[in-house]
Amino acid sequence: MHKFLVIDALIITLLLFSGCQRDEQTGNAVPTIALVMKTANNPFFIDMERGAREAADKLGVELIVQSAEREVDVEKQMQIIENLIQRQVNALCITPSGSKEIVPAIVKANKAKIPVLIVDTRVDETTLKEAGGQIATFIGSDNFAGGKIAGKKIVESLGGRGKVAVLEGIPGHETGDARLGGFHEALKEQSGIEVIASQTANWERALGYNVFQNLLQSNPDIQALFACNDMMALGALEAIAAAGKTGEIIVVGFDAIDDARSAIQKGEMHGSIAQFPAEMGRLAVEKAFDLLNGKTIADYIPTKIELVAKENLATQVK
Amino acid sequence: MSTKELFAHYGRQFGTLIGLIGLCLVLWILTPYFLTVSNLLNVAQQISIIAIIAVGMTFVIITAGIDLSVGSVLAFSGMVIGSVLQAGVALPIAIFVGLFVGGLSGIVNGVLITYGRLPPFISTLGMMSVARGAARLITKGRPISGFSEPFRDLATAEVFNVPLPVLIMAGVYLVAYFVLARTKLGRYTYAIGGNEEAAILSGVNVKAYKIAVYGLCGMLSGLAAIILTARLNSAGPNAGIMYELDAIAATVIGGTSLMGGEGTITGTLIGALIMGVLRNGLNLLGISSYIQDIVIGAVIILAVLMDMALKRQRN
Repeated sequence: MHKFLVIDALIITLLLFSGCQRDEQTGNAVPTIALVMKTANNPFFIDMERGAREAADKLGVELIVQSAEREVDVEKQMQIIENLIQRQVNALCITPSGSKEIVPAIVKANKAKIPVLIVDTRVDETTLKEAGGQIATFIGSDNFAGGKIAGKKIVESLGGRGKVAVLEGIPGHETGDARLGGFHEALKEQSGIEVIASQTANWERALGYNVFQNLLQSNPDIQALFACNDMMALGALEAIAAAGKTGEIIVVGFDAIDDARSAIQKGEMHGSIAQFPAEMGRLAVEKAFDLLNGKTIADYIPTKIELVAKENLATQVK
Repeated sequence: MSTKELFAHYGRQFGTLIGLIGLCLVLWILTPYFLTVSNLLNVAQQISIIAIIAVGMTFVIITAGIDLSVGSVLAFSGMVIGSVLQAGVALPIAIFVGLFVGGLSGIVNGVLITYGRLPPFISTLGMMSVARGAARLITKGRPISGFSEPFRDLATAEVFNVPLPVLIMAGVYLVAYFVLARTKLGRYTYAIGGNEEAAILSGVNVKAYKIAVYGLCGMLSGLAAIILTARLNSAGPNAGIMYELDAIAATVIGGTSLMGGEGTITGTLIGALIMGVLRNGLNLLGISSYIQDIVIGAVIILAVLMDMALKRQRN
């Protein structure tokens, strides 16, 4: 029985250590902005949190950053949003774990009159409209345009002729679908380019390795690969190395994470599309702050998206 | 019974209940947002899905078994419900189909464990993968979204301000409490977990009752799938990943022994509440996700440590 008192004591200690600022919360002079991310286990989102924190410090707002343990756990993300609504935060910035699944949570925030800013991943517009939901803005880069840049890079590198393989993300994810769509758009006019295989590797590095190894077995003449994120591209690089073909296959990824940048530096990878998560986090907090101060904000706030290749690796700022 | 025996008998549950009340007191002191009617109903609604799965898990664990497939079975049932609803099937039939698919997956587990003589860990581990794959196969991995108002009402409707999932959960707990305490199925569930050989020798059809218990567990995962799908207005093949761990945690915090033979339904409810209140409180306080994981893990470990200490005291 006493052990549970130990648990309570443990929780109190953790709460004290984690700097819970109750006075500021109830003092209501400082607005509270919440950022709900997909996960905290991905460098992309860690950068986003960093950008948001810097903006919050500068503006003097209180920032709560929360995320589910697992990226695919859409229900846990909904619970976090419900809890933050109970907490009466002044604005919610959300990177949806699912473009459609997030909609009921947005509607709940609408009912509580808390403005919702969507970051990085778009909400499915028809689902939102049907449910009568409202979002203040979308802050993020154009993944379709990014996919197109990747496609162009591959066409250029192949000189307009060659066999290409694609590693897709989890089917039904808006982000992956848009990248894929943009990629195919770039290839539309290119009759010399043939996409001989397109399979999912669930955004994962280990799966990227296995799937690409299998693709190489069945199509040893693959000349280029587009992976919808860098994790899968890096997995595929290992498979290429295992087949003794390092540098022979053109690999273009997406996100320009640190490992991909060093692979580009070494010439193992040919490019990656950079997004700017820290900028997304910063803009999310700044725009939420503007909104709370009665300013109007645009309903789409684009963030930069560009190709990182060996030529611009040194000059490009992360 | 002497006072000491009484304490040993009920102490475990009082311990968790006191833990829960203590936790609520701590949160009440730390944040003004915790102890409000709307937040408490919010917590009750949030735990309903895991709590319903945990009822089935409690039955299974009392028989000294385990069911690792509940999260995947939930996803599979959800995808089947989503497809039949989109095909225009009437709501009551869709609900029945969802429960049936869940129940059938559980029965397959039960048959593999009894007639196939597989350890529950292995057969449900296999089912975990098979059901997940089946869920992904139905739509090639895409979620199914957009259901009718009456179906969504299953998660969003309120009766006297109480969300429907909370009432469904309450109903499940009442029935399960009665079944476990008052019926043959309940008594045999304890008997099988306490000493399976003895149960067989005294003429209990152990195989049939075990299959029924796994079937029940699967069916409750199907029920959870209905609520989850209505709540998100979407069925996804990645739904319910790792829910088995949350359900096992709620059951074990509630005092059900993984060795089988003992456990209570009320304990499981308290276990689910402790997990739900913890998560809610940590969100309300804006505590970092990393620390949340540590706190929840620590609670599970401490609860089991306490369980073992109390058991030693009793023997």
